[in-house]
Amino acid sequence: MKQDGFLTFLPWAAPWLAGFMLFTALPVGLGIWYAFTDYTLLEPPIMVGTKNFARLADDPILGTVAWNTFFFGLLSIVVGTVLSIALAVLLSKPARFQAFWRSAVFVPSVLPLIAVAAIFKLGFDGELGAANRMLGLIGVEGPNWFGSGAWAWTALLMMSLWGVGPAVVIYLAGLRDVPKQLHEAASLDGVGSWGRFVHVTLPMISPVILFNVVIGIINAAQVFVIPLVMTGGGPGRSTYFFAMYVYDQAFQYGDMGYASVLGLVQFAAILVLTGLVLLLGQRFVYYRGA
Amino acid sequence: MNVLDSQTSITRRVALGAFGAAATGYAFLGGTRRRDVPDGRIMLDYWEKWTGHEAAAMQTVVDAFNASQDRWWVNYLSVSGLDRKAKIAIAAEDPPDLLGLWHRNIPFFRRSGALLSLESLGRSQDEYASVLRPILFGDVQDAAPTTCSSIALYYDRAMFRKFGFDPDQPPATIPEFDDVINALTIRNTEGKVERAGFLPGDPGWWNWSYGPFFGGHMYDPATDQAMVNSPGMIRAYEWVQSFPKRWGLENLRRFQGALVDNPSPYRNFFSGRLATTLQGPWVAKFMQEEMGDNLMDYAAAPFPVDPSVQDAANPHGSIECDVLVVPRNVRYPEGSLAFVSFLQQPENLERLASGHGKPSPLVKPSGSFLAEHPNRSIEVHQKIMVSQNAFAEPFTEVWPEFSNSLGAAMSQIDVLQATPAEAFERVQEEVQAQLTRAASRRDLRESQL
Repeated sequence: MKQDGFLTFLPWAAPWLAGFMLFTALPVGLGIWYAFTDYTLLEPPIMVGTKNFARLADDPILGTVAWNTFFFGLLSIVVGTVLSIALAVLLSKPARFQAFWRSAVFVPSVLPLIAVAAIFKLGFDGELGAANRMLGLIGVEGPNWFGSGAWAWTALLMMSLWGVGPAVVIYLAGLRDVPKQLHEAASLDGVGSWGRFVHVTLPMISPVILFNVVIGIINAAQVFVIPLVMTGGGPGRSTYFFAMYVYDQAFQYGDMGYASVLGLVQFAAILVLTGLVLLLGQRFVYYRGA
Repeated sequence: MNVLDSQTSITRRVALGAFGAAATGYAFLGGTRRRDVPDGRIMLDYWEKWTGHEAAAMQTVVDAFNASQDRWWVNYLSVSGLDRKAKIAIAAEDPPDLLGLWHRNIPFFRRSGALLSLESLGRSQDEYASVLRPILFGDVQDAAPTTCSSIALYYDRAMFRKFGFDPDQPPATIPEFDDVINALTIRNTEGKVERAGFLPGDPGWWNWSYGPFFGGHMYDPATDQAMVNSPGMIRAYEWVQSFPKRWGLENLRRFQGALVDNPSPYRNFFSGRLATTLQGPWVAKFMQEEMGDNLMDYAAAPFPVDPSVQDAANPHGSIECDVLVVPRNVRYPEGSLAFVSFLQQPENLERLASGHGKPSPLVKPSGSFLAEHPNRSIEVHQKIMVSQNAFAEPFTEVWPEFSNSLGAAMSQIDVLQATPAEAFERVQEEVQAQLTRAASRRDLRESQL
């Protein structure tokens, strides 16, 4: 009977398994191997032991891209979390055209990132962009967005908020799960709406916040398309991120071995950060069933 | 099966039907090849970077080749991100039959043994401008020029006349040029720049190239040493940095961030907001496209140099060159070589160069090429192309990384965050480490042979 079940399962799961083996397991395995080789892509790999790992110690760019990525992650997760909880709370209230507003928040995240990044790049163009034209309408002279690090970061952060839709949907589901009795009990005790939000709603949706923060860390550590299209890493290296550096090493500089090492470092960093957040979660997250 | 299952489950028959429909659709509609290839011809795929009028110019050469014989059929394809895609295609042993690269790609592809020899074409180095020879020839010829350019200073002759400068005597030295820049620049009472005499970062495509105009060089190919912090380089970028210093950084930012309606990279020069600009010869074609009959009274001249390196017979100027290569493991090397050989005939090279508005890569272009060229200053570009003082980016496989380091330093120089001496000190260290690492990788490969 068990064997029958497996034989039925196998053909149905085979396409996914084949895809996983070909496009995830095999590249990861090859990446680990390439990390110990000198590989230009156009010539066969040559074993060099741990030489690529030793290079991490004196790479002058690594610190810059690691810091940029960490800082961008921190800012985008904090701002994104606050904004998406705020939107979810607003959308959970009864309103006219509620379905429309919910769709309007989610729909932007359906669009391909590369297209959205190209649109935002044009939108923030100092000479042609809609952002400066709108600022001009209220008498404000817009900045040269991509001409200075601070403004380029501002543009990137604003762009990163474009994709809060999925997080909002998850928060909305979390908010529906908050027991009404708790709010009623708090109201009877004289707790105001802000107090109920801080002392009832937030603790009750804390597992959802943790989930979104973990997903946010994973996404932020791999931020690539938006800065590649919008700023190309500049000005200077002010918006040069880790995944862009991995890509440059692999496909621009022809050093697959070092790119693989950087990829492993990125993986380890995500693992450690996620682990830390989950550990912190044990202290701050309230699980109703626990 | 409960009610929910009966609504959502997919039967085996439906699933197989869906797979079957997808397979049938792919068989009829997916992966189709061109159908206009005449019977009996072998199709050669040609990946090239150009679109628009540049692609159209190459298509005329391709059409002429296809009509000239009955064995091969070249299929021209405009491909974005060409060099990166080519690396992957060659690594996967499924390269295009013909590949149009940038000259700066050649060191990496050549060192990796990715290019087939073009020695059988029987071309001599002497036929090509001397600055192009290291690009086209390694141990043997393995790259053929398609179109090459030299970069020059473009200016509006009418504006020169209006401000008392002789348009036939453009500035030849940096001090003369500074006088012109200061005279042609217009600033309002608040100090805002309304017209800039020149901006080193507009359009920003050759920010790396100012060193040689001051006698500086970034790289010594003979010793494989970086020279980014050499005195000539520092003097050149002190001059570049003098622009935000003389007009104010914020004023320049506002000038560059001012709202315009034209997305063209040439807009500031065409609209007169920029009096002079560093540009390639193709600008004349774009001027024709954008301005039509109201063509500006433009002219080009070699970019002014520091008086210490002035050499009227051999003007300074950067060059760039698009090249055609045949990747290793192509299916039909004979067909690929036939097309390269056809393209290298002087009349075809000149037809293509003229279509792009560029000079000829050959030492001796024909009289009709110069006379009928769409750029009225083509002789200036031709003179720079064959000059002993023409220069290209450092010809090394680390140039992409080198350029990244240099670009980061130049951004700091532009916004007055560092002096050129400080910024280039750091770049020198970074680039020397890149060169040393590349040499060590070369040694490793050679030791494995």
